[in-house]
Amino acid sequence: MKRRNLALVTLLLVIAAITLVFAGASSGRTKASTPFKVAWIYVGPHNDGGWSQAHDNGRLYVQKMLGSKVQTTYKENIAVGSQFNQTVASLAAQGYQMIFATSYGYITPAIAAKYPTIKFEQATGTLVSKNVSEYFGRAEDTIFLSGMAAGYASQTGKLGDVLAFPIPEVIRHANAFTLGAQYAHPGATVRVVWTHSWFNPAAEKKAAQGLVAAGVDVLGQNVDSPATGQYAESQSLPWVGYDSDASKFAPKSWLTGSVYNWGLYYLKRVKEAMAGTWKPGFYYGTINDGFTKLAPYGPGVTAADKAKIAAVEKKMENGTFYEFQGPLYDQSGKLRVAKGVKMQVLTGGTNSLYGMNWLVKGVIGSPKG
Amino acid sequence: MNNALLVVLVASGVAYGTPLLFAALGELLAERSGVLNLGVEGMMLVGAVMGFWTVQRVHANTGLTLALAVLVAALAGTTMAAIHAFLVITLRANQIVSGLALTIFAGAAGLSSYLGNDLNVADQPASHSFHALLPSGMQSLPVVGPILFAQNILVYVSWLCVIAVGLYLSRSRPGLNVRAVGESPAAADTMGINVTAYRYAHTLAGGAFAGVAGATITLAITPQWVNGITGGAGWIAIALVIFAFWRPELCLVGAYFFGALQALAPQLQARNINLGPTVLWTNSLPYVMTVLVLVVVSSGTARRRLGAPSALGTAYVREEH
Amino acid sequence: MRISVEQRLRRPRWLIVAVPIGSVVFAFLVAALVLLATGHNPVSTYHQLFDAAFLQQGSLDQTLIVATPLAFMGLAAAAAFRMKLYNIGAEGQMYLGGIFGAAAGLYLGGRGGPSPFVIAAMVVAGCFGGFLWALIPGILRAFFKTNEILTSLLLNYVAGLLLTYLIFESESYWRQTKGFNASVFPTGKPLPHSAIWPGWTLHVQGGTTIPLGAFFAVLTAIVLWVLYKRTRFGFEAQVLGDSPRAARYAGVRMRRKIVAVMGISGAIAGLGGVSQIGDFSHALDGDPNGIQKIGYGYTGIVVAALGRYNPFAVVVIAFLLGGLENAGNTLQGPSFPAGLVGVIQGIILFSALGGELLTRHRVRITRTRKQLPAAPARAPEPAS
Repeated sequence: MKRRNLALVTLLLVIAAITLVFAGASSGRTKASTPFKVAWIYVGPHNDGGWSQAHDNGRLYVQKMLGSKVQTTYKENIAVGSQFNQTVASLAAQGYQMIFATSYGYITPAIAAKYPTIKFEQATGTLVSKNVSEYFGRAEDTIFLSGMAAGYASQTGKLGDVLAFPIPEVIRHANAFTLGAQYAHPGATVRVVWTHSWFNPAAEKKAAQGLVAAGVDVLGQNVDSPATGQYAESQSLPWVGYDSDASKFAPKSWLTGSVYNWGLYYLKRVKEAMAGTWKPGFYYGTINDGFTKLAPYGPGVTAADKAKIAAVEKKMENGTFYEFQGPLYDQSGKLRVAKGVKMQVLTGGTNSLYGMNWLVKGVIGSPKG
Repeated sequence: MNNALLVVLVASGVAYGTPLLFAALGELLAERSGVLNLGVEGMMLVGAVMGFWTVQRVHANTGLTLALAVLVAALAGTTMAAIHAFLVITLRANQIVSGLALTIFAGAAGLSSYLGNDLNVADQPASHSFHALLPSGMQSLPVVGPILFAQNILVYVSWLCVIAVGLYLSRSRPGLNVRAVGESPAAADTMGINVTAYRYAHTLAGGAFAGVAGATITLAITPQWVNGITGGAGWIAIALVIFAFWRPELCLVGAYFFGALQALAPQLQARNINLGPTVLWTNSLPYVMTVLVLVVVSSGTARRRLGAPSALGTAYVREEH
Repeated sequence: MRISVEQRLRRPRWLIVAVPIGSVVFAFLVAALVLLATGHNPVSTYHQLFDAAFLQQGSLDQTLIVATPLAFMGLAAAAAFRMKLYNIGAEGQMYLGGIFGAAAGLYLGGRGGPSPFVIAAMVVAGCFGGFLWALIPGILRAFFKTNEILTSLLLNYVAGLLLTYLIFESESYWRQTKGFNASVFPTGKPLPHSAIWPGWTLHVQGGTTIPLGAFFAVLTAIVLWVLYKRTRFGFEAQVLGDSPRAARYAGVRMRRKIVAVMGISGAIAGLGGVSQIGDFSHALDGDPNGIQKIGYGYTGIVVAALGRYNPFAVVVIAFLLGGLENAGNTLQGPSFPAGLVGVIQGIILFSALGGELLTRHRVRITRTRKQLPAAPARAPEPAS
């Protein structure tokens, strides 16, 4: 009897102690005059070596440039949907004033309306409203250039591309890669395999193996892990990456890759928000404003090729060259974009960059996945 | 010749099936002693991250470092298995729930993620990794080249393990004892076999194999670490044991079959061959096939002839009088 | 020295409550050690956890958003596990429930406020979807003796692929095709207004909404409890779980029971799936980075195990664990370890599992007598 009472009392005391600890410290801590709080939300891990990591590098850049004037944080592996909303709720409760959401589908009109004082910025989306701004950029330009490097490196003119999902963003990038390869190596073809995942090293390696077995001699990708490159290295084949400089994964195979430099945009917008001059809009970055560029070349790119690529890049910068300018044919040979017509970002239905759902001539594979 | 679809598929099957084989052999040992361990995925993930970490931190020659990494991975897997073993053998907890708890604890949202991030091993290529062992001359021999001679040492070690486990179970005294333990622990106990010790030993061995399976992925197949890199292989391994009628040599066949199945869709896509009406069909194929295989294998007659250890999944309580 | 485990003769009532609580306390202590070992302050971490889960502005709201699906998943698991049918497929059954329920909502819904008729149809459709998906492992187990753990698990992957296919890889009924945004990135067709589930707003923490699904979850718990404790069906199912042989002798129709129990479990998971759509996402979510990333179905199993398959305990624990998940999202970041939530969950589960033993048995450590040197070689008697 006595022992049981003692145990009960002890248990109650423990519970009471724990409750006191939690209730003791108040949740409404007074905050000293605060640095500007801005948060990033990633769909994958911050160190994935790909998409999310590129954004995190941008965040670190902002932190570095603005020092104690800002307080930055990130949330990783946040699912689209209610998990995102929860994360925003908790960030709001902690006083964050600006949130960069790095994936389409994160920001809904409802969540934006619920927190009218928070400035939302979303990557790759289309929603623009009073407190929501969109940002992305012309990766297709640098992907075209990286495709050129791939085309030059190919002996047979048969290239391969490892792709994620058959959505316009990826299709556009695959088309840019193909057009670039064909510019460098006329008549080149690009075989594509869809992994149905943004980040899946095993699936990407299998895709790469399939492509090589089918006869390609250069590999490219629009997915986030360097597995394709590791496989290319093991087969001594050239490789073009995406998202970030992943040359360390395949030092001999690495040619180059299209890289995002989110930091410059982030710095600009954070400064604007801090100064009160922030306005929502649709930002589509270019090579000129530093949004995208080519990663440093690997050993397999000749000086002559570098010069040719640089020449085209210069023309892109001064507006005399645009890869998505007609005539453009689809896989069946039909003329989709008339000669001289430039594809726009948002307007033009399936002939717009954001609406493109067809693959250009020379791509072997289905745009439906 | 060596790029023909069939050759490529079989070669892929061997390569991608090796982690499945290791994990299945381990689970087979545990199940033979009567312990069901559903935590294979978690154990593989922990083995994967610890093996990778070893390779990144140890600065010795390649062979030594890799050997050490495999050892560390095995130890990591064993440690995870020890938790499960303690819970289900000594504390007689429900084996199913304990295994699932282990998967949650050690899995992609748990310990392996924690370790990977805290130990800072993301976004780096492996400093050393397993490459093909035999000279390229042998690798380019027709058919047998890519399938047999282009593999890394872990594949060859796995073959030795299959033989070893097979001989152990069928020819050695302890091997026959463990089969008795799995069939009827009470009878084994009266024969003087220490049921508890056998169950512990084999569950821990299962963990070691699972750890090595994880290391195969981060050190041989895709030499990098990302969270959740096993991608469900642990579950396929558990299914594999059933598919193989708890026999090591059939584990090998099954592992390579599943490995090839996983490589099928990308290979067909690359050749622009349309396998099914939709991409959904092609992607679901490995899982649907596994289910079908399980149904066939588990159906009445087959099961009775070459069946599971009868005491699989039940705790053993020695009656005290 | 030997650890011997003896069955208790009496089961003190206080133990049944004390042990789970004790397990949780023990788990937090162990996790605290882990935190210390990796350089984090346990007290402040736990304080932040609690704060983020229940105290902060808006936290209850967010906790309920997680707790609702967790409750359904927990109830689904409890319904089956209690009968020793290990339905790991709640995740996939939830997706199918969402698919069927969203179809009903899209088809029947229209303008105006939430319509009881439409919502009822969605509930029925959602339950049906989950029920169907659970029938597969159920029938395979009942008629072909195939292990339901593996079949239900593998079907989760197939269900996920189906969900992604409907939105990402096809122009299905569920996919939004109108408007420019739709062609940019695949999204689900939004539910019409009368198909959106209402909530009940409390004036707590600046406005906390209790979603309709939460009420349904509590209702489901009650129905489940009545079913298993007060009906013949429940009694027979319980016998089936405890002793299949006794059940067979008693004339229980094994195969039908197995299918029925799996079906019920699936239906509950399906209800959870349609609640996700009706309460929260308001469209079918096929994004592989959406609901498929979270894993409610698997966490639900943890909830069920902690609640010892008692429906009411499951709902309470779903709420608590929902708070933990919510807090985990809040806390994670550069300074907080990723994966900690899973570690704590696992430790809690381990502790609960281990503690389970203590309610039924007593653990004693005894010293054995030294063995006599010239013991004859024969079968030893059971040691004392």
